[in-house]
Amino acid sequence: MDITRFKCTAFRCLSDVDISPSPAFNVIYGGNAQGKTSLLEAILFATTSKSHRTTQESDLVGHGGEGFQIHLDVHRQDRTIQLDANMYRGAKRFKVNGIAQSRVSDILGKINTVFFSPEDITLVKGSASQRRKFLDMELSQLHAPYLMALQQYRQVLRQRNELLRRNQADPAMLEIWEEQLAQHGGLLIEHRHEFIEELTPLAVEAYHGIAGAETLTLQYLADIGPSDDFVGVLAKARQTDIRRKVTTRGPHRDDIEFMIDGQPARSKASQGQQKSAALALKLAELEWVKQRVGEYPVLMLDEVLAELDPERSQQLFKAIPHEVQCIITTTQPQLDDLLQDRPVMVFQIEQGKVTAT
Amino acid sequence: MLLNSPSVEQLIEAFRRLPGVGKRSAERMAIHLLSEPEEVAAEFAQAVHVARSRIVHCGVCRNLAESDPCSVCADERRDHSVVCVVEQPTGAMAIEKGGSYNGTYHVLHGVLNPLDGVGPQELHLDSFFERLQRDGVREIIVATNATAEGEATAMYLSRQLAQSEIQVTRIAHGVPMGGGLEFADDVTLSHAMQGRTKID
Repeated sequence: MDITRFKCTAFRCLSDVDISPSPAFNVIYGGNAQGKTSLLEAILFATTSKSHRTTQESDLVGHGGEGFQIHLDVHRQDRTIQLDANMYRGAKRFKVNGIAQSRVSDILGKINTVFFSPEDITLVKGSASQRRKFLDMELSQLHAPYLMALQQYRQVLRQRNELLRRNQADPAMLEIWEEQLAQHGGLLIEHRHEFIEELTPLAVEAYHGIAGAETLTLQYLADIGPSDDFVGVLAKARQTDIRRKVTTRGPHRDDIEFMIDGQPARSKASQGQQKSAALALKLAELEWVKQRVGEYPVLMLDEVLAELDPERSQQLFKAIPHEVQCIITTTQPQLDDLLQDRPVMVFQIEQGKVTAT
Repeated sequence: MLLNSPSVEQLIEAFRRLPGVGKRSAERMAIHLLSEPEEVAAEFAQAVHVARSRIVHCGVCRNLAESDPCSVCADERRDHSVVCVVEQPTGAMAIEKGGSYNGTYHVLHGVLNPLDGVGPQELHLDSFFERLQRDGVREIIVATNATAEGEATAMYLSRQLAQSEIQVTRIAHGVPMGGGLEFADDVTLSHAMQGRTKID
């Protein structure tokens, strides 16, 4: 799938943008603080209703304004889709083909995107919560039931934790929330397990592509395994939970472990290796989405070249399939060495204005 | 100017306390009432006042009623051995409109919700359990909403009554009658699939 047209007004510093990207490579080039990342962020927001940089949605509104508009025309194998995302006075609204969507879950997955920014290195070296966020984002985009289960799980968990926090937690009161935790949490675990199982070989291959001879492995560290007795584990943990005033077991404690050549990447790998591993994960995601929906998602790469050495950059570009629409931001205008003979469209961005060059 | 009139502010605030009413709607309602002839507002106030003064909580089922016990609890033709448990009076009204239910009700006026500080005491569940004993109830049908809190409340009732003779059942979730499948949401459909029944 590819974005054939992108328009936005008053999104962060982007005043009035209207571009028609190519279905292949698109380079957005400009100095610092000119709006490169905001452009990708706008696309991400329109397709997922979320920003990767902030949870404070008022930050997204251009200076002094009351709202913003984003419009995308997207070409998919079998159809075209128009997507509108608007924010006005704190309320966000989404339209698909001109029809208002009442639930955010109705816009997820209309257009699939894979986004990579320098901060994504935290996927490898950051805390477990960032890896869980990654799992939740990816799975929510492709499975509406996953998103539902996630929201339900979080609500039930908040309720059970509140009992624990208030010291009102007799076992009988805790128990009434546990069956729902098991029901929704079990679904989360099942999907995460399957996702990582499918993603692993793709990530291993992608890492080989970027980093050569080294070997990446990943493993799902499920706090409660897919075949464990969920309700039984919670029942056993009740006394510990009461003491520690929090629900200590469940998928909200899950993690993924990355190993490079048998060493834990989080603590033992170099910066470059960690970056390559994070990137491999994103490239694996490209393939995974393709297997699922039958076509490649849109790939957005934010400032990756500043972070990678020339050799790894070269390998990265080689690893991106030609059918993928890729939108890449950079401060360096000369990418000829990297692009080889790929067709490319270059856009220059300056103070929130974008022009095709 | 209207904007800094304390009495108008107070009226808007009063409307805002109603469920489902936001700031804008409250403003519209208040301004509408104040723009109409004075009798309209007087009738409105009178209707609220009269209804409120006549309505009591039924001592048996805690539903809102004009008499205590309420007309359902006082009706000897109804089956007093079956009690349908609902969150709000609106739930009982909805089931009553359906017309096929001949048992009695119990209105919790809420559900277990630790985040809002609602526990078994706040729902007066002790007196509910006493009622069940006193009236020799055989079955309770838990018709709380299909939310996390509604499900937990159903679970609590079922656990508390596990040792008793009383059977605890939960209403089924499924697709609306006469409606196309395409109007049901994903979760409802998946529940409906799980709860499918054999055609005899």
